[in-house]
Amino acid sequence: MTFTPDLLSRCISCGFCLPACPTYELTKDERSSPRGRIALMRALETGTLPMNDPGVAEESSFCLGCRACEVVCPAGVEYGQLLEEWRDATWRGRRRPVVVRALLRAVDRTWKVRLLGLFRRHARRRTGGSASLMLGCFERFLYPKVSRSAVALDPRLDVDPGQGCCGALHAHNGELAEGRALARKLGERLPGTIVTTSGGCAAHLADVLGRDRVVELSAWLSGPASAAGAALPGPAGPILVDGRPARIGLQDSCHLRNGLGVWREPRAILAALGEYVEVPGAASCCGAAGTYALVRPEDSAKVVAPKVDALRRLDLDILVTVNPGCTRQLQTAVRKAGLRTRVVHLAELAASARTDGSGR
Amino acid sequence: MTQTRSAADDLVRLLGPDRVFHDEATREAYARDATPLFHRRPDVVVTPASTAEVAEVVRYAAETGTPIVPRGAGSSLCAGAVALAGGISLVLTKMDAILEVSRPELLAVVQPGVTTIALDEAAGAQGLMFAPDPGSRTVSTIGGNIATCAGGLRGLKYGVTRNYVLGLEAVLGTGEVIRTGGRLVKDVAGYDLTRLFTGSEGTLAVITEATVGLLPRPAAAGYGLAYFGDLAGASTAVDAIVGAGILPATLEFLDNTCIRAVEDFAVLGLDVTAGALLLFGDDGDPATVERTVARMAEVCSSVPSCREVTLAADVAAADALLAARRCSLPALARLGTLTLLEDVSVPRPRMPEAVARIADIAARYGITMGTFGHAGDGNLHPTAVVDADDPAAVEAAHSAFAEVFRLAIDLGGTISGEHGIGAAKLPYLGARLGETHLGVLRRVKAAFDPAGILNPGKLGS
Repeated sequence: MTFTPDLLSRCISCGFCLPACPTYELTKDERSSPRGRIALMRALETGTLPMNDPGVAEESSFCLGCRACEVVCPAGVEYGQLLEEWRDATWRGRRRPVVVRALLRAVDRTWKVRLLGLFRRHARRRTGGSASLMLGCFERFLYPKVSRSAVALDPRLDVDPGQGCCGALHAHNGELAEGRALARKLGERLPGTIVTTSGGCAAHLADVLGRDRVVELSAWLSGPASAAGAALPGPAGPILVDGRPARIGLQDSCHLRNGLGVWREPRAILAALGEYVEVPGAASCCGAAGTYALVRPEDSAKVVAPKVDALRRLDLDILVTVNPGCTRQLQTAVRKAGLRTRVVHLAELAASARTDGSGR
Repeated sequence: MTQTRSAADDLVRLLGPDRVFHDEATREAYARDATPLFHRRPDVVVTPASTAEVAEVVRYAAETGTPIVPRGAGSSLCAGAVALAGGISLVLTKMDAILEVSRPELLAVVQPGVTTIALDEAAGAQGLMFAPDPGSRTVSTIGGNIATCAGGLRGLKYGVTRNYVLGLEAVLGTGEVIRTGGRLVKDVAGYDLTRLFTGSEGTLAVITEATVGLLPRPAAAGYGLAYFGDLAGASTAVDAIVGAGILPATLEFLDNTCIRAVEDFAVLGLDVTAGALLLFGDDGDPATVERTVARMAEVCSSVPSCREVTLAADVAAADALLAARRCSLPALARLGTLTLLEDVSVPRPRMPEAVARIADIAARYGITMGTFGHAGDGNLHPTAVVDADDPAAVEAAHSAFAEVFRLAIDLGGTISGEHGIGAAKLPYLGARLGETHLGVLRRVKAAFDPAGILNPGKLGS
């Protein structure tokens, strides 16, 4: 048995997920819709399609895994879980993309993850506080300033530099057991509340450790941080650009929004930092989608294209992200399009606003 | 398989490789619509981009005797879009252009693959609206809406899809292209083929373009909620509302089984001891809406079995009220692994009797069945929830529904108000129409589709 039976049978094939799906939007092909993919999963389960069917393999890879279908599903299908089980069953051995294999191997041991961060100036201050900051695996390497900003915002956060990867990467890419094991290991290493700066990691950790153990940074700053007694300095005032409040937009993190229902919190924070502008399609996937941008760069570019058009029209000063993959994807897209908009993680923007109000 | 290959090869020659798919995964994805228990892979999936391409495919199908099943978003609830005889699944979602919205003429010209909501939003940009609002409007296509004469939540005030179709372009079963009606409110030149094609479920022609009527968009909407001891009370209230000269946009009800399922699922604070819940509402200019909703509340309160009436103070409160109605189906669906949704319609005064007897039937067969529906127009959605792996329970549900259909007909009603006949309800159509009528349908179909290739095994077969 490949799939949890209750998850598959819950789909009533109503098709309400079609308009929410970015890949269906690209193709208008039922095969690349959530309902169509569930039809394929059912066929795998009953054996009417073989595991190595090329069309099935293509669809398991073409799916972004953004879970936008889950929030519009009237029947409550847990599509993200089904996708993880699907890839776990079909992305075996050589059928897993080479890039993915390399990435998973790079962070499957704690020592490798520590090595990634060794020469990067990510936060590493032990405070003994009851809440720990999660450093992420690639985030500590690619964007070390994010964790430094997070501890600047809430100095009580404890940072254990010996922590490993949360396993979201593995769970999303066909190593479900490994992904869950890594999350449990991280949960043991970081007791108490885990604060994350990555929406994707937050959703995966919450799924394994329980919703009450995990808080994403914007949600943390909006409530629990002050409740936990942190004396957070208020913003020095709006971030100014040419003497006026900066025009700031947000790109939601799919798993943060669709998996954990967190989307108001980052908007509220940004509204305090400048003139908040809702980017059309902010809630839909930017095409980063974990390893997707690396595995399927052409499709990833097609997914981000309408977003770039929207950003060009809005001419924002700053576009804020709440997940490292989105930061990378949008920085690249914005640079290629020659836009002046600066793409930055929420932690960095909020921290800089408190220090000198420059937003830098 | 050779058959499949050769049809696909021929179609590739006609339309090119970008429009023709016959890999196993694509065929599996198009093997069903939103109707449970109906499944068959089409031999080939074709996605035409123009009327000329549709005509090419239909001509090919007619010459070779290949079945052809038109399909929009595949949200059919009567297996209307399942290729039960194999052949070609003709998917029209790529023909999704809104060609024109004319404010002075109050109409729009669209291709069939446009979604209902996209048309309504385009109309809304000019202060207009497309009135039919089927529950699946976010996904369903106009082509599918017209082919099934889709209804919705405001049928009493605004009617259904047929009231808004002014003209069509369609490809007949011969591959000929004809245009019916047009941009006219009045036009009696010839038989009304526009209406004939509306609700023909893809058995007479493939709709390739539609001219639809629009209305000025109402400025405001308001809602209220009333509980009654039994459905007869709610029904009395509905009669009294309409009898008082009020024609509201929304009159929806839930029976006790639905109220309990919704409350268990969504925890909205509903009164789970009530026999019926009535959601009422209207749209129009703000002052009129406020007055009408207040009057409806008053009428509801005057009914002896009325327990409580609540008015929505703002949009958020209205959304909370509407949520109860909107989540009826998913709430019921969570009670089992197989959800069978039906769609009988009865004259409004017979509604309390219909609902009570439907509950008796369900009890007699020992199955869970909740009924919700459009109280304003007598359209009921009895919904059975059973264990898919229990053949006896599935069989019991089918037997129960056969009785429900007979009951509806006995009460002067029909076996489907808005979902259609398709393959799912064809066995019961004779009971509704009689042999003579069925014979006429077959002769009509033969006139438009002499080769019998358009959606065979459904209406007119």
